[in-house]
Amino acid sequence: MRKIIFILIVLFFYKSIAQNKQVLFGFAELPQTLLLNPASETNYKFHVGVPLLSGFSTEIGSSSAVLSDLFGVDNRTVNQKVTSLLNSLSPRDFLKLNTQIEILSGGFRYDSKNYFSFGFYNEIDAIGYYPKDFLTLFNEGNDAYLNRSFSASQIIYKLDVIGVLHAGITRKINDKLTVGGRFKIYSSALNIETNNNSGTFTTTQGTNNLYTHYFNDVDINLKTSGLVDSNTEQYIENAGTFIGNTFLGGNLGIGLDVGLTYKITDQLEFSGSIIDFGFINHKKNVKNTKTKGNFIFEGVDFTFDPNNNGNYWEQIDERFKQELPTTEDNESYISWRPTKINAALKYSFGEKRSKYCYDNTYKDFYTDAIGVQLFNVFRPLSPQLALTTFYQKSISKKIHAKFTYTIDDFSYSNIGAGLSMQFGKINLYGMFDNILAYRNLATANSVSLQLGVNLIFN
Amino acid sequence: MKSLKKISFLLSFFMIVSCSDKLDFNQINNYIHKPVLTSALTYFKVVPFQFFDSNGVQQFEIRDVTRFEGFENTYIRENVVKINFNAEIKNEFNRDVTIQAEFLSENDGLLYSFTPIQVQENDLNFTYLEEIDVTTNQSVLNTAKVRIIASIENTGTPMNPNDTSEFEFKSSITFFIESEL
Repeated sequence: MRKIIFILIVLFFYKSIAQNKQVLFGFAELPQTLLLNPASETNYKFHVGVPLLSGFSTEIGSSSAVLSDLFGVDNRTVNQKVTSLLNSLSPRDFLKLNTQIEILSGGFRYDSKNYFSFGFYNEIDAIGYYPKDFLTLFNEGNDAYLNRSFSASQIIYKLDVIGVLHAGITRKINDKLTVGGRFKIYSSALNIETNNNSGTFTTTQGTNNLYTHYFNDVDINLKTSGLVDSNTEQYIENAGTFIGNTFLGGNLGIGLDVGLTYKITDQLEFSGSIIDFGFINHKKNVKNTKTKGNFIFEGVDFTFDPNNNGNYWEQIDERFKQELPTTEDNESYISWRPTKINAALKYSFGEKRSKYCYDNTYKDFYTDAIGVQLFNVFRPLSPQLALTTFYQKSISKKIHAKFTYTIDDFSYSNIGAGLSMQFGKINLYGMFDNILAYRNLATANSVSLQLGVNLIFN
Repeated sequence: MKSLKKISFLLSFFMIVSCSDKLDFNQINNYIHKPVLTSALTYFKVVPFQFFDSNGVQQFEIRDVTRFEGFENTYIRENVVKINFNAEIKNEFNRDVTIQAEFLSENDGLLYSFTPIQVQENDLNFTYLEEIDVTTNQSVLNTAKVRIIASIENTGTPMNPNDTSEFEFKSSITFFIESEL
């Protein structure tokens, strides 16, 4: 258990700036851009993602600490490094992890106005804020912290392991406006979350005894689904069960993506989307643990009453259970998906070329584009914003590149790059975010990548 | 195609030149988890009246005992290396008081006892610290009960049961933990 807690502590230092796929957004008409904006413009007849390979994305990063802070070779002991790290982090620091693997994906053009796309992907999405008070108490104990209130409100985390079955439509309204929508069915294999906790633990100089310990206004609610089998009351440990539950076997939910692309002029384009506006209703294999109340402990008050028979401890234990009870239940609950908002303004310029489209026509396009993108994801403590500027270059009709510079909570020097290449029907794409970090991964705050292979038919 | 070559070169360059400072992940095996946990323990306040039995006969010793389940926690039991017992005592009585603190097993067997704490009459600021090295006193980990015995000095003059002077005792216990991951 202590190892798990320690690993979690370490993981808190390696946070992922997840889900902001700023290089992919609006890039090269890739099928995967439809998952970021269902109104992305496409000009092919149909596409098929190579199963398990069409879309893989993962992002790992850290807002403040880096690997070398803990594992670097220097004159400090590992205990000194851990203490130094814990002191340097704040409760607003967080761990985020998001990995998506497309299992199946495809799409086809219904007519000149409508393109349908669909697929199934697995996603692991996790966020955990750094509970500084809890970790300080765990690491150092309460002895050196008289009068300090250790707060339970810093305990905020959420982990989802889900499968997403989706189908969407991209509809060209006119030459200027394209709109899109995608309906999603979420199947949650695992959810662990806690939020809106409150309460403090404080040790003070006592009046009746040397110390008094206070548990004040404690209200902690830990929710899980898919972790404990309701019938056997045993932890579900079979990986196959989790994987199986991601395909409509787990707790179900629904969600919606919507988006639009609007050509303000021939060269100026606005696009925006809202992704994962939805929820999951957890009612299978639910196990919730709640602790609520107040408790004051001053020690054992000896009365020297011969009739007491030394029952002080039992009396305190009983009072603790009555005043600060911990209960378990199987009540269903709703978990909202982390909704994302994307917006982009793109100005195209450069050489004007033509490309061959699905309907045997040719479409003009500019070889270069610059623009700005705004990304926001709603998270438990606060929304997380990122602002990106980008330069996009079409090297040929089949080869496109994009460079990004992003400012977010973690970095002011995040440069990303991506390349999409079409060889016949085969499309390959790869994107790397924060490429400067590759100079020294030990001191990297974040690295991320997205890779995939599609078959695209014009 | 020149641009493509450049871009491909740059991407490849970043991948190839990506490197890392020397890292030693085995350091984590040297990590010692060393929290220091402090808790209030026993306390009491007695007046002369409590040193008389129901027949009004002066008693020279009173005692009380409580269960103590601190060592039933396996984490503390397996990793505590030192225990500090702190006491602060105020003796308003006009005679010395001796406090004996004893750690007992489930069957009331004596596992550890402090050197008797002798508090002079009218000493209002007596402090006491007992450090228990667990490695040389392993039996203390079997403690299931704590007993306190308060003895008053027999001066030859009985106490006045209506006297309002007090004898006050406060204590805490501190566990020094050292645990590997």
